[in-house]
Amino acid sequence: MPARPRWLPAFQAMAWRQLVRFLSARSRVANSLVFPLIWLLFFGLGWSAAFNVLGPAARGIFGGLSYLEFLAPGIVVMTVFTAGFGSGLGIIWDREFGYMKELLVSPAPRGALLLGRLVGDTVAALAQGAVMALLVSAVAGWPGVWGLLGGLAAAAAAALASASLGSLIALSMRSPEGFHMVVNLVMMPMLFISGAFYPVDPLPAWLRMLAYLNPLYYAVDLARGLMYGVHSTPLPLDVAGLAAVTAVAVAAAVARFSRTYIA
Amino acid sequence: MEYAVYAEGLRKSYGGVEALRGVDLHVPRGTVYGLLGPNGAGKTTTMGILVTLIKPSGGRAFVAGYDVVEEPQRVREHIGVVFQEPTVDRDLTAWQNLYIHGRIHDLSRNEIEHRARHVMELVGLEKFLHRRLRSYSGGMIRRFEIARALLTEPEVLFMDEPTVGLDPQARTRVWEVIEELKKTGVTVFLTTHYMEEAERLCDTVAIIDRGVVVAEAPPEELKARLGGDTLYLKTASPAEARRLLKLAAGYGDARLAEDGVTVVLVARDAPRLLPTLLQEARATGVSVIESRYVRPSLNDVFLMLTGRSLRDEEGGWSDWMRLHMRARR
Repeated sequence: MPARPRWLPAFQAMAWRQLVRFLSARSRVANSLVFPLIWLLFFGLGWSAAFNVLGPAARGIFGGLSYLEFLAPGIVVMTVFTAGFGSGLGIIWDREFGYMKELLVSPAPRGALLLGRLVGDTVAALAQGAVMALLVSAVAGWPGVWGLLGGLAAAAAAALASASLGSLIALSMRSPEGFHMVVNLVMMPMLFISGAFYPVDPLPAWLRMLAYLNPLYYAVDLARGLMYGVHSTPLPLDVAGLAAVTAVAVAAAVARFSRTYIA
Repeated sequence: MEYAVYAEGLRKSYGGVEALRGVDLHVPRGTVYGLLGPNGAGKTTTMGILVTLIKPSGGRAFVAGYDVVEEPQRVREHIGVVFQEPTVDRDLTAWQNLYIHGRIHDLSRNEIEHRARHVMELVGLEKFLHRRLRSYSGGMIRRFEIARALLTEPEVLFMDEPTVGLDPQARTRVWEVIEELKKTGVTVFLTTHYMEEAERLCDTVAIIDRGVVVAEAPPEELKARLGGDTLYLKTASPAEARRLLKLAAGYGDARLAEDGVTVVLVARDAPRLLPTLLQEARATGVSVIESRYVRPSLNDVFLMLTGRSLRDEEGGWSDWMRLHMRARR
């Protein structure tokens, strides 16, 4: 007879499951790298060429960086962030294929089940982010080992936040179609207002306020600061903001999952 | 508490529609218990409440001695569940599925390895332990899910329509597994709308119709309520038939069939009664040249209790409804 189930085995099993699934789904991995790569190549190289018309003055807009350098950390964070949302998709599929019931009738603490999933997906997203970081470094300039690792750490926090948000949306949605709609509705503005593509500082106050609520903003600013030494918010504030927003997202997702019945 | 599952006045309504209108259940430990009823009678809802996935609107239920609403966590520690639809991760192998199941039930890796072999042998899938479930057939998945549910050695095993959607061969395999389980002493709670299944497997059957349990007893007892079995005894001549009729009248409701030579007797326990009757007939000089008896089925019981036939419900709009509801979920 099983004793009262402890936290760690369930957490570990769920994280392990996500990683096994990730490794067996290579097409998904490739897929999540293609989208940011398209941004980097066509958007990044395109604007980079356009800004070069201005000559050295262009660097003034981007805190002294070239546009490619400015964009590179954003691309890494974006890769990991969009991959993180896939966690929610996993929940949708688990519900469609019935696996969710297997989890819900188990005595494992709900928090352990969900956090295990989130962490597993975050690690998987981070693996994709690492590949992307090496690619952008080749294009935009080598940020140094510590810069690279720092940028990835910031991206990891962003992935945990997006995985939590994705899960929260998935748990509240009845259909896969609804999930895709809401995710696009949430993800697109978050990406654009993150400071990944253009600096946030010159924006009107209300847009800047939105950016400060966006976990992605802190992640991008932090990653850029660590990789290329340019940032608009003090780095400790970036860390605090990222930690706070991520913690809220995780807590909300866990609370929602703990209240999940099928009817 | 002596019951493995006990429910009292369970109710559940979905937006004003009452799916359950007061369900009472008494499942003795170590027995196989069947909830029998047509589609839409409330079987799946009842099971959903018992396995803590659906909140009842009223009433109380205890599984393995724990209140399903107050202590769902304790209930989950003591049950194994096989749902109607598959609930496996098809991208993983059987072993990987078992491993995760064991870990989220707090088994150690050693325990899982040890028991995995045992449960997979029980359902005859030991050769397929390291195959991805994607390659399993529907019947194999169902058997695998039974194995997985048994991994934790639960006190109560719940199975929702364990053989629905399986071909006859796969169905027989599942039945054999359940019969094997009887020997282990685990309590089995299953729902079904196949009366053959209920008759073959269950020690106790509860008949549910429109959200209410209308009868709960061993199948034999339920059938006995119909007055008993019908025996047909054919004699060589009308004179002998009349003598046999007098004799048979002492055992139950006897009459002469239209052919004038056959005695029709409705009585309890035909298998034991028949040899006795034949012996007495011979003793009084009546020669019976043909004898047979017919036992009532659970379908006859259902018909008596609800005025409708279980079979009428199959393949009609209710199946369509169910598919529709499943798609919506």
